[in-house]
Amino acid sequence: MKKKNNILKIEHLSVTYGPIKAVKKVNLEVSQGEYVSLIGANGAGKTSLLKAILGIEKAEEGNILFLGEDISRKATDKIVSLGLCLIPEGHIIFSSMTVLENLQLGAYHNPSGFEENLQRVFTYFPILKKRSSQIAGTLSGGEQQMLSMGRALMSKPKLILVDEPSLGLAPKTVTEIFDILGELNREGYSILLAEQNAKKALESSHRCYVMKTGEVAITGFSSELIDDPQIRQAYLGGS
Amino acid sequence: MSEVLYYFLGFTAIYILMGWALYLPYRVGQLHFLIVACMAVTAYFGGFAAREWGWPFILLLLVGISIGAIIAFVFSQAIGKAPCFTVVIVGLTSVFIVKTVIENWELLGGTIGFFHIPTVKYLLPIIYILLLIVGFLIYKIDHSRLGRAASVVFVDREVAVSLGIDIKKLGMFFQIIACAIAGMAGILDAFFVNSVSPEFFTFSMISYLMCILFVGGYTTMWGVILSAFILQGIPLLFPSEVASWRQVIYGALLVIIILIRPEGLISRKMLWGLKPKFSFNNK
Amino acid sequence: MEIFIAQLISGIALGSIYVLLVTGFNLMLLVAKIIQFAYPQIVVISMYTCWGVLQLTDNKFLVILAGITVSIILSILSEPIFRKITSTQGVDINASFIASMGMAMIIMDVMSHSINYGFPVAFPPEWIGGNLLSFGLITVSKGQLYALMGGIIAVLIFFYLLYRTNQGRFFRAIAENRYAACLVGIPIIKTSIFSYFIVGVLGGITAILFSMLIGSASPWLGEFVALKMLAVSIVAGLGNLKGGLFCGLILGILEAMAMGYISGSWSNAIAFVVMLVIVLIKPQGLFGSRI
Ligand SMILES: Nc1ncnc2c1ncn2[C@@H]1O[C@H](COP(=O)(O)OP(=O)(O)OP(=O)(O)O)[C@@H](O)[C@H]1O
Ligand SMILES: [Mg+2]
Repeated sequence: MKKKNNILKIEHLSVTYGPIKAVKKVNLEVSQGEYVSLIGANGAGKTSLLKAILGIEKAEEGNILFLGEDISRKATDKIVSLGLCLIPEGHIIFSSMTVLENLQLGAYHNPSGFEENLQRVFTYFPILKKRSSQIAGTLSGGEQQMLSMGRALMSKPKLILVDEPSLGLAPKTVTEIFDILGELNREGYSILLAEQNAKKALESSHRCYVMKTGEVAITGFSSELIDDPQIRQAYLGGS
Repeated sequence: MSEVLYYFLGFTAIYILMGWALYLPYRVGQLHFLIVACMAVTAYFGGFAAREWGWPFILLLLVGISIGAIIAFVFSQAIGKAPCFTVVIVGLTSVFIVKTVIENWELLGGTIGFFHIPTVKYLLPIIYILLLIVGFLIYKIDHSRLGRAASVVFVDREVAVSLGIDIKKLGMFFQIIACAIAGMAGILDAFFVNSVSPEFFTFSMISYLMCILFVGGYTTMWGVILSAFILQGIPLLFPSEVASWRQVIYGALLVIIILIRPEGLISRKMLWGLKPKFSFNNK
Repeated sequence: MEIFIAQLISGIALGSIYVLLVTGFNLMLLVAKIIQFAYPQIVVISMYTCWGVLQLTDNKFLVILAGITVSIILSILSEPIFRKITSTQGVDINASFIASMGMAMIIMDVMSHSINYGFPVAFPPEWIGGNLLSFGLITVSKGQLYALMGGIIAVLIFFYLLYRTNQGRFFRAIAENRYAACLVGIPIIKTSIFSYFIVGVLGGITAILFSMLIGSASPWLGEFVALKMLAVSIVAGLGNLKGGLFCGLILGILEAMAMGYISGSWSNAIAFVVMLVIVLIKPQGLFGSRI
């Protein structure tokens, strides 16, 4: 139906690590401007799926179409330059460099819009502006997560992949980060979010895929899934 | 026995001993070139004590083994669980320091070398008997709890620690055994050649030992035997114009083996591959 | 006092050579993830190249160009070998050390067989320059002064490039966190190939300065220098660029002082004893390892 404005379309994607099949023939779509979430238990294959999209893990089979172009065999740097980015699990930053240097590195494929992007990132994350000359390793966990997000935004991506932004953060910070993701989406960014915290993910996203041992088990609109008794039972702690 | 064959067999055995001495600490991931320094020390000590003080060969053999073990024991207090390249540099600098001391010591013949070390009867058979004993010992170590612990340390130190393996003790153990073997090899070398020269204990010796270990294969003790015979044989088999380029040949072999067979000619996987076949035949 | 000043000058010159060597070595270690033990051999063969070209022409520009070109070519030629090694599954950094040891053996043997019948080569006086200062037996040549200035400038420029430019930041990014560098879209392989080029340039410059400083080269020089380079980088902490800067300079000064006050062949051993003691006390290096 909405074939035309797919920004990301994944067909029959499989990822294996030796004998382990982490992702099995997954189909998934993200439309332009859409906010899609991906939930599932530990080891369901969410991270592997995101890594495969970015070309960090090799896709065993299947296609990944980004803006109509097959990126499943491309190198990560090429994929990033097309406008995809991943905010990884567990704040991966350059910890011995300053905050500003981290952001400069984020702009590798978009050096011309550097100043403008920097100001935008600073409006999302005012704390980064205050800390801009601090060594990144000395930031708090929440600040590091924000830096990791800010660094991804510096490349002016068309689709943002986010992996467990809530990992190890206080509830207040988690809320803050989800607010920012929502705001980014309203500004027109397409988002694919992998998250353990099913409640938060379902509340904020438009559509949701539920992964179970490498396969997509259920998919639907978030507003419907959140009331689904099965989902409530399995992922929202019953209540 | 022809002289060429005699020296070929003798040197090959001594290099097998040294190859094993390098092999043992590499079980826990350490390239322990201190063995070359130990060999130099005991070769000179043995030569000097035999010629000047008339010490008997058997006594010197025991003294050589002890000297190697003591040197290793002292050093291993500091580098028992040090990372590979720290151990490398400790070995390399020690070799260089020992060499400088020897070259500046008139009594030991300086840069010219030390000659007229007395001969020992039946030395070649003795060397091979010792080789068998050492080989048996290493085989026992490899197939003991220690050997299995070492394999874990080689693959992942953190896992080893979590399994309760004392990495430092293990490293110390292998270093001490290795240097004891090297100490013995030094004594054998001094009596076999009847002279020692500082020229012998240089970078080319170290690279030659590396070649023996890594071309043969560092995952089992058998690779060293195979490659010591091959590499010692190369200069004999080829015409002298080719043989004089043997450093180039050895260097190229080292690069090629790392590229196409990183585990060396004989690997543990290969031996495992053989095992089921044997048991199948037995049935 | 005069001895002290003269030795300080040659010590700093020597130290900056060590700094260049260690920095090139560390860059390979950090960016390309290899131990390039043959790097000093590449430097020595560039020195031989300079010497060879000096036999044909006394155009200094050509000599410098030839030296740097050879170093770049050799460095780049080693890249596919190392890439194959590092991309093989389950092979660690030791494999690159072993392979580069093989390369060092080849280069050394080629030099001792085919160039000047294996004898050391001496650079002509025009290249080294006359004596500038002399205090009795101790002299400071023009070459030493060039090496001193060239060394300091090269180190400064290189550290500026590394810490203040985009390309330098990309190098440091890969060195610090390969995964994050990959995520921001830095082309790892391309950047790593570029690092071979940069290290080649650095090796050529080092060769030229070194030849001016010591005025000769021999097939076994490389092994000597390799030992010092590796020792300095371990004493400082593997992959620690700033530590290497400090320790390289200190080693150069220490060695020059030993040479000034202690007789010939012992002076070399002093530096090794000091480094051995430090490594035994601090196996991770003075400033901590970065890999
Ligand atoms: N590099 C790897 N090597 C081997 N197996 C891996 C690797 N990475 C992931 N796996 C396996 O693949 C499966 C899926 O892992 P993945 O990280 O994708 O799960 P996840 O859904 O992100 O889980 P979590 O919510 O805990 O982050 C797991 O069983 C994991 O053990
Ligand atoms: Mg995950």
